[in-house]
Amino acid sequence: MAAPSRNLFELFVSKVPWTVAGKEMREYFGQFGQVRKCLLPFDKETGFHRGFCWVGFTTEEGLNNALQKELHLLEGAKLQVQKNRRPFSGQKSNNENDGSSI
Amino acid sequence: MAALLRSTRFLKFSPLGLLQIVGTRRTGPPLSRLCSGSIGVGRTGVLTQSQRPSVDIASSYVWPCAAGCVRNYAVATEKKDEPSVAVRSKQAQHFDWALAKLDSSVRRTGRITKTLHLRIFHDICRTGYPSGNQALLLLRSCGSLLPEMSLDERTELAHRVWEKLQELGAQYDVSHYNALLKVYLQNEFKFSPNDFLGKMETANIQPNRVTYQRLIAAYCQNGDIEGASTILGFMKSKDLPITEAVFNALVTGHSRAGDIESAKNILSVMRGAGIDPGPDTFVSLLNAYAEKGDMDSLKKTLEEAENADSSLMDRDIMEVIFTLARAGHQQHIPEIVERLRHERGYIPDAMNLCLSLITQGHDDTAFLILKTFPSLQSDDINSDLANLGNFFLRHCVNMDTPLEKICHYCKELHNNNMHTSPLTFTLSCALEAKKTDLSLQLMKTMKEQNLPIRPHYFWPLLTQNTKDKNAAGVVEVIKGMQALDVTPDLDTISSYILPVFNSIEVARQTLKDAGISLESEGFVTSEIRFMATSNLAQLYTLLSDPSHPSIDLVNFRSSLIQGFRKSDDVENMVKITKLLYQDERYSKTGNNPADTVSYFLYNLIDSMSESTLHAQEDKLRNYFNQLKAQNIFLTENIYRGIRNLLQAKHVPELIKDVIVLVDPNDRVSVGPISTAPHPSGLDGKVPFLEAKLAELKAENQPLASVLKQIIQVLSAEENLQRALELKQQYEDEMSMGAYAVLINLCCRHNNVEEALNLKREMSRQDSSVGLDASKYIALVKVLIKNSRVEEATDILKEMKEKDVALNDSHVTMLFHALNAAVPKGGPVVQRLQETIFTLGLAKPSANLCAPLVSAYLDSNDLSGALDAALDCQKRYGHLPRIHDIVVILVEKGDTELLQKAMDMVSQERGEMTMLYDLFFAFLQTGRYREARKIIETPGLRARPGRLQWYAEKCISNQQMEVLEQMVDMTSKLFECDRDEMYCYLLRLCKETNDWQKAEAVWTKIQEENIIPRERTLRMLADVLKSNGQEVPFEVPETWYEQAANTQQVKPETAHRAAENGPQYQMRLLALCKKGKATEAFRMLKEADKKGVTLGPASYDHVIRALLAGGALKDATAVKDIAQSRLPGFQLSDTANSLLVVTQSKLGQTKDALETLKSMLQQDHVPSQLAITRLVQALSSQGDVAAITDVQSCLESLGTSLNLSTMLFTNNKALAHIKQGDLDSAVEILEEVYTSPDNKSPSMGFVFRKVLEENNDKAIDKLSAMAERLANHFACCRPATDLFLNLLKLGKVEEAKFMLARVNGLAEQKDALVSFVARASQRPGQVDKIKTLHNLIPDFVEKEVLYPYMMKCHVMDKDLASAKALYERMQEEGLVVDELSLKRLAVLYRTQGETAPFPEPSESFKFYAEKLKEKTAKVQDGEQST
Repeated sequence: MAAPSRNLFELFVSKVPWTVAGKEMREYFGQFGQVRKCLLPFDKETGFHRGFCWVGFTTEEGLNNALQKELHLLEGAKLQVQKNRRPFSGQKSNNENDGSSI
Repeated sequence: MAALLRSTRFLKFSPLGLLQIVGTRRTGPPLSRLCSGSIGVGRTGVLTQSQRPSVDIASSYVWPCAAGCVRNYAVATEKKDEPSVAVRSKQAQHFDWALAKLDSSVRRTGRITKTLHLRIFHDICRTGYPSGNQALLLLRSCGSLLPEMSLDERTELAHRVWEKLQELGAQYDVSHYNALLKVYLQNEFKFSPNDFLGKMETANIQPNRVTYQRLIAAYCQNGDIEGASTILGFMKSKDLPITEAVFNALVTGHSRAGDIESAKNILSVMRGAGIDPGPDTFVSLLNAYAEKGDMDSLKKTLEEAENADSSLMDRDIMEVIFTLARAGHQQHIPEIVERLRHERGYIPDAMNLCLSLITQGHDDTAFLILKTFPSLQSDDINSDLANLGNFFLRHCVNMDTPLEKICHYCKELHNNNMHTSPLTFTLSCALEAKKTDLSLQLMKTMKEQNLPIRPHYFWPLLTQNTKDKNAAGVVEVIKGMQALDVTPDLDTISSYILPVFNSIEVARQTLKDAGISLESEGFVTSEIRFMATSNLAQLYTLLSDPSHPSIDLVNFRSSLIQGFRKSDDVENMVKITKLLYQDERYSKTGNNPADTVSYFLYNLIDSMSESTLHAQEDKLRNYFNQLKAQNIFLTENIYRGIRNLLQAKHVPELIKDVIVLVDPNDRVSVGPISTAPHPSGLDGKVPFLEAKLAELKAENQPLASVLKQIIQVLSAEENLQRALELKQQYEDEMSMGAYAVLINLCCRHNNVEEALNLKREMSRQDSSVGLDASKYIALVKVLIKNSRVEEATDILKEMKEKDVALNDSHVTMLFHALNAAVPKGGPVVQRLQETIFTLGLAKPSANLCAPLVSAYLDSNDLSGALDAALDCQKRYGHLPRIHDIVVILVEKGDTELLQKAMDMVSQERGEMTMLYDLFFAFLQTGRYREARKIIETPGLRARPGRLQWYAEKCISNQQMEVLEQMVDMTSKLFECDRDEMYCYLLRLCKETNDWQKAEAVWTKIQEENIIPRERTLRMLADVLKSNGQEVPFEVPETWYEQAANTQQVKPETAHRAAENGPQYQMRLLALCKKGKATEAFRMLKEADKKGVTLGPASYDHVIRALLAGGALKDATAVKDIAQSRLPGFQLSDTANSLLVVTQSKLGQTKDALETLKSMLQQDHVPSQLAITRLVQALSSQGDVAAITDVQSCLESLGTSLNLSTMLFTNNKALAHIKQGDLDSAVEILEEVYTSPDNKSPSMGFVFRKVLEENNDKAIDKLSAMAERLANHFACCRPATDLFLNLLKLGKVEEAKFMLARVNGLAEQKDALVSFVARASQRPGQVDKIKTLHNLIPDFVEKEVLYPYMMKCHVMDKDLASAKALYERMQEEGLVVDELSLKRLAVLYRTQGETAPFPEPSESFKFYAEKLKEKTAKVQDGEQST
């Protein structure tokens, strides 16, 4: 079932430029493999996102493709991409109402 | 005077920056009492201190408390006889903290932001007792240190600070009044000096010299010489010294009064009074001229200042610029800007100037200044440094600079390559500042420039409106959105638009009235989401409408789940579920709606917490049963998932309600499931197996395995009766396994008789066979429950005989079995427990001993409980449930027994344990006063494990008060980790989601002056954020920053710890490797002072590092030190070679030659570079003889150094040219090229030198030689060298000329290609290659040329040209090699575009090698043919 695989194949991306939203992140990381989820939390106070994002791939291959690329440039900004080490803090993939785009 | 920016003059050099804010350097600091700079001392080095000795003296004054010392609070409060000490100490610490904050801001940027100022103001107010120092600190920061605020605003702030702090009891003295005056001056605030003095008088405060000086300045600022003179006379009468500051003010005063001549005369008056005009005087005069726009006098004064040796700093010039701008003489500014020298620290000063200019509406001038910023050439695409002017744009936005101007600045920044995306950045600032109009206009401009505009750009504009439920505001933004052709997406609608409306109808109507389209999918989905969480009946009506568009459940699943959890409307839940089950519109195309619903149910259960599930068990059962009635089925897989969830969440009771939903076709394979017996039997399986059984029986075949299977299934169905019947029927065929399953089933049904019977039957059949551990223990438990202790012990003994192995979970089961004996009383438990331990089935543990104590406690036999516990301690070394016992004893007030308990604990476990037990018991029973007494027992120290145990207990029982008490009481406990304690509190706050409490904890942390760990801060931030509260500090975001910080700190401490030789050597080596030669030198000297002798290698390394930086003198010093410590010390080859290089570079050729010779004598081999540099140095001095000398020396060395053969020839020729002896130069060169076995070596170096020096004579002579050699001797090399050097220098016409006269030039393919190859290695060279290609179109094949050009374009990051070239290559039918493709693809990628071809997957190196191999093969092929 879905439960045990929740934390696999995930990237933690930081330094995300403010101009991109979940959709653009999804599109960008889609080039490495099918994206299962993409969580870019927005701050309800400021209306800006917080600059970091979790991207989950459906396959390990997608994850590795993304990790192998040295430089991730998106809209002129260099994204910092690393394997996610911490589980989503209580975030479920089906949570579409938290102000983030999936 | 009001010297703008002057106030920060010394800040960069002094750790105690704020001291100098008053800028009274020449008049002596009246505020020296402020010097509590213990912070600065700790952090900055010795160097800064020694620069400002006066500061040192001051800093030793008063405040001894170092910031960051966690325990000061405790220390201070110990002096209970003097209560005010604690308060004062706390103030001191807070002051230190605030000072550190402000100081660091001023030191880094020369300014303080409004937010920082307000925050510190707020904090100081909140702590309650503002000290005089704090007041002073805040007051002084209300002037020119706030360039982002307008002058009026600043003064207003100063007044607010003044009044508020006075209200809070701050004591003002003359320093405060003086500080206020200074702020008035800096803010050009008009006030009456008389009234001011009156106020001081009322407050009974004596003005001092500084007061008078500043009042004079105030009068002068308004051009009131008369007023100034009055005060001046007063000062004289009081015999107060008249300082430079007064004269400076008078310069301003006269000038403002319109009498510039008198202003100028002040300077002579000063000189007459024995005071030399200082830089400030000149600045005052310069400002006077600047105000008048008198450029001639201004320039004259500038020169005069220079002559008077009053060197003006950039900051002074900036002040003049500021004055010019304010007086409306912008046209003169460029001229003055030229005079800026870009000293160290230019940028922060210039930034402050820009900010001040923008604040006062002179953004044009500010932009002029911005353009003088050194362009930050950063090849590093990742750095933000590439963008210049962010602060400028941000401040323009904040100051409401008109859009047209902002756009103009953006355009220019972009065109000048100063900023890559100025508009986008400006937009982000406008959004941050929530300036709706500006933001929308900026987006319009961006749209015109084809920049993308996305829905989330509007969110910052919506947040506040949404929060305030301001529908009009939201509609306004949405209109703007629509005007820009941006359709609100799902998130925009559901998170920001709909929440402001009370109902979906109102939303529809309002948006429709505003002319906003409602057709988007986003709106439809939002509507569904909205209804899902609010009204399921409505949702059903909406979704069941046949005209409703199709939409995937995924888009509203979470809302629907939320709605289902909230609602009790089972009827509509079922209706909706059925709709989703049947209607394909709500499933992803191609998916079966039944699957969609299955997953939905799984997610629904998954989303519910254990407690919710328990609470809604009936509702869910009802729901599931109705689903069954509606013939809604689940797949088997999903059923398994749900079953697992229900088991994990301990609601197995619902499993039987879910299993009926499994599709009957699937159900056969569902397997053994523990559900309640089903009326129809487990469809299919049992009848099937029974039939099979009958069949086998009829055929007289063995039945055992089928029988066991069937009993297993019946057991899964919990159908004991039928199982027993079957057993009866086929008694002979019962296998051991079947017995075991059946016994276990009996145990579950509490049928102890039958279980024992079966057990006996089983033993009769085969006495060697036993049950497995869990079945044994289940049997024991059921026996105990039925008070059959005798049989239970027998079973335990049997377990021992059969050698049943027990693991941890079995031990837990044993514990539960023992617990079942608790109601039977102490002796029973005792007996069972003893049996278990004596048999060795399990090792004694506190847990296993606990039921015994429980038995006594449950029967209120405290004495028995205590005895039992102590007995366990004696026998097994465990003290079970002692906390509970002591708690009850305390509650009952049974002092006698308590005393006994404590004595025993103390004796067995030590006094410390006893005290903790007592402490926790007092806490638990709310006897805080007693608890405090206990924990304050002298000598008691923190036991983290025990504190943690109790804290965890409080957290899991949500006992906030008790935990708070504990944290509070332990504040003075020795070695108590305070952060840890507060962290427990915050965890509980998080658990209970109590942000007010969390905030109170934060205040406490500050009060106690704890420096919290990051995880503590994060937890605090979490609690605040999740409750929509502002987080009053910066949240550490990531773990790796922390790691990086700790790494950075380490070398520093290592540095301090270096005390002995080896440590020094390691540190030195590290510093040298990092190229920090000066630091290494300093450390080496330090070591030498301490008398430490280092190894020769260390000295050598430092010398090398120093030489690498050209520090010859220091290197020699180190060499001397080394030789004094190690008599035989000699430099290594490398060091010597570096020495030669350095000496050569410094033109000390004699020394260099000397060094070289001594090296050779020692058989040291000099480096190639050393020789080259030396020979070049010699040639530039025209010393032919010495070059020959070097040459012969090296020849005697015997080994080849791989030196170019032309090194000596070229340099000798150059030396001759230097001497003016062109003929000799030509002679030696011609000799080389005319010798029969010459390999056409390059003399490009010679041409380069003479061309660089524009030595026309030499050029003529040498070019004539080159032509001659080419045309008469067929030696084209010199001509080619000349030609290429001309190209390199862009002298295309001359190159063309050469080409015309030297026929063979165009055929020098090798030399030309190598030129191209070399050019392509550096950026910006493509034009040279193109020129060459234009001059000689076919000098090489395109196949060779184009890849080089591609490399150039990639090097230049010029995607457009690269694309064009790629197209051209394709048009011309060339095969593009993989290396070029790879390069091009990477360029596409780095520019954020996708290449129209797949990027070659291997590395660059791989393709380079491949290409090399290919070329080699072709060449081989060519040679063999």
